[in-house]
Amino acid sequence: MDEKFDCIVIGGGVAGLAAAMTLARNNMKFLLIERGEFAGSKNVSGGVLWGSDLAKLVPNYWEEEDGGWERFINHRRLTLMDEQSAFTIDFKSSHFNETPYTGVVVLRSKFDNWLSGKVQEAIDASDYAMDSFIATNIKVDEVIMENDKAVGIRTGEDEFHADSVIIAEGVNNLLTRQVGLQDKYVPADHMLTGIKEIIRFDQEVLEQKFQLNGLSGMSNEFVGSATDGVEGGGFLYTNRDTISLGLVLSIKDMREKKKSPHDVLNHFKTHPAIADIIKDGEVVEYSAHVVSSGDSRVMPKELYKDGILLAGESANLLMNAGKAIQGMDYAMRSGILAAETIVKAKEKGDFSSATLKEYRSAMDQSYVMKDINGFQDAVHLLHTETMQQKVPNLLCDFGRQFFTIKNEPTPKSKDMLKGAVKRHASFWELAKLGFKAGKSL
Amino acid sequence: MKNLKLTERLGLVSYRNQSKSEIKPHIVVDTDVCNSTCPHKCTTWVCPANCYTMDDNDQVHFQVEDCIECGTCMYACDQGAVDWNFPDPEIGRGVTWNFG
Repeated sequence: MDEKFDCIVIGGGVAGLAAAMTLARNNMKFLLIERGEFAGSKNVSGGVLWGSDLAKLVPNYWEEEDGGWERFINHRRLTLMDEQSAFTIDFKSSHFNETPYTGVVVLRSKFDNWLSGKVQEAIDASDYAMDSFIATNIKVDEVIMENDKAVGIRTGEDEFHADSVIIAEGVNNLLTRQVGLQDKYVPADHMLTGIKEIIRFDQEVLEQKFQLNGLSGMSNEFVGSATDGVEGGGFLYTNRDTISLGLVLSIKDMREKKKSPHDVLNHFKTHPAIADIIKDGEVVEYSAHVVSSGDSRVMPKELYKDGILLAGESANLLMNAGKAIQGMDYAMRSGILAAETIVKAKEKGDFSSATLKEYRSAMDQSYVMKDINGFQDAVHLLHTETMQQKVPNLLCDFGRQFFTIKNEPTPKSKDMLKGAVKRHASFWELAKLGFKAGKSL
Repeated sequence: MKNLKLTERLGLVSYRNQSKSEIKPHIVVDTDVCNSTCPHKCTTWVCPANCYTMDDNDQVHFQVEDCIECGTCMYACDQGAVDWNFPDPEIGRGVTWNFG
């Protein structure tokens, strides 16, 4: 492998694989480097891959007998919790049964591995079937810079050269920092630790438990006492015969409140609403993965520089604005757009920022940056104490009264609501919240 | 369902190069910083794999063997004591997820 590649892609996650697929389809000569045993072996997500971009990469993927995905989402739940109760907004629709699906649950060790198989097929069908590679078990130590332009990568004693490098290394973006696009130290302020357990059930039991039909699936997000007073939230997604159950917890808040993520997970699992769901399951994996909050203040200074593009979590492209935790879909779209920019750069014969800045405009015009920029207020709002604790507490308080039938005269609902508001917040606070939510969502 | 202890949870993790007696640590912690000037020693509770522990004399100790490569300590430590890297595929520890 002495000769130069058009592009080296660092990382075999969703962003890197989406980029690689796009490069292969456009007859580019590239090298994808993955530090794990296989693509996906180091990767953890919640996780739902939202949106329908997967169908662009693997057309009609749903027709495959055993594709890399677990279940498609046609049932969404958002649960607000206090210590004893769970108040849930529940939406299920056969509208979501139509393909292309708008959300599929994935387990990354399986999904990324499957997707990398599809990339290999695309390589085999390209003009560079013998010259483009997916290389595993290689850790990139450094992006080689010459006159502040990337010219390749170094791993141990070996160097590989290329006209461009797509950094898709993930959230712990050491190479992004090395090339100067992110500060060497990223503080905990907008970073969260995701931890989760994979809990296995008999598949039929699981399907009955969650009212699943065929390969349909359910996603459930949680706020309130799920996180035991720590800023963050919880999630539950149904896989084929397991569930992904976990939390995303602010690192700064855990530091200040002296909370351990595994203790908070235990607290979540003993909540009556959760305990009843998981009671006959068996934990088969425990994992963790850091994510950013979606606050744009933690994003790298730029998404490109001479010879370099950033995709996926390397650029902290992830957001939870209250509706869903989106990260893998951002990774996929940014990987595709990064690779398309490389294709254009090759046509022009110019890999400098003069051409690569087109990636920035493509990203700005895409839903990814439009949403990240458009929903910053919602991200901030979601992380306020009002949304994290007061609203879940007052809604559960109201729910408890509303659904309690005593053999005595029933107060009017508005009086119940008034009481609940007074006990947990104030009308003024709620009015402010309503105003902010109305604007930000 | 009974909650698992952290050691039981970590027992479910597939670590790499487990047959090797010597591994190259991918994280190097300057515990002198933890044990002299750090005002919080927060890694001893925020690490999901409990790689950082505190002894009876409030001294911080670090072991890399149980690390699940999440990166939490790199952000949580604001004292510059944590030098974080990815494990070497051949001579490092780190994980291979079965589910992920």
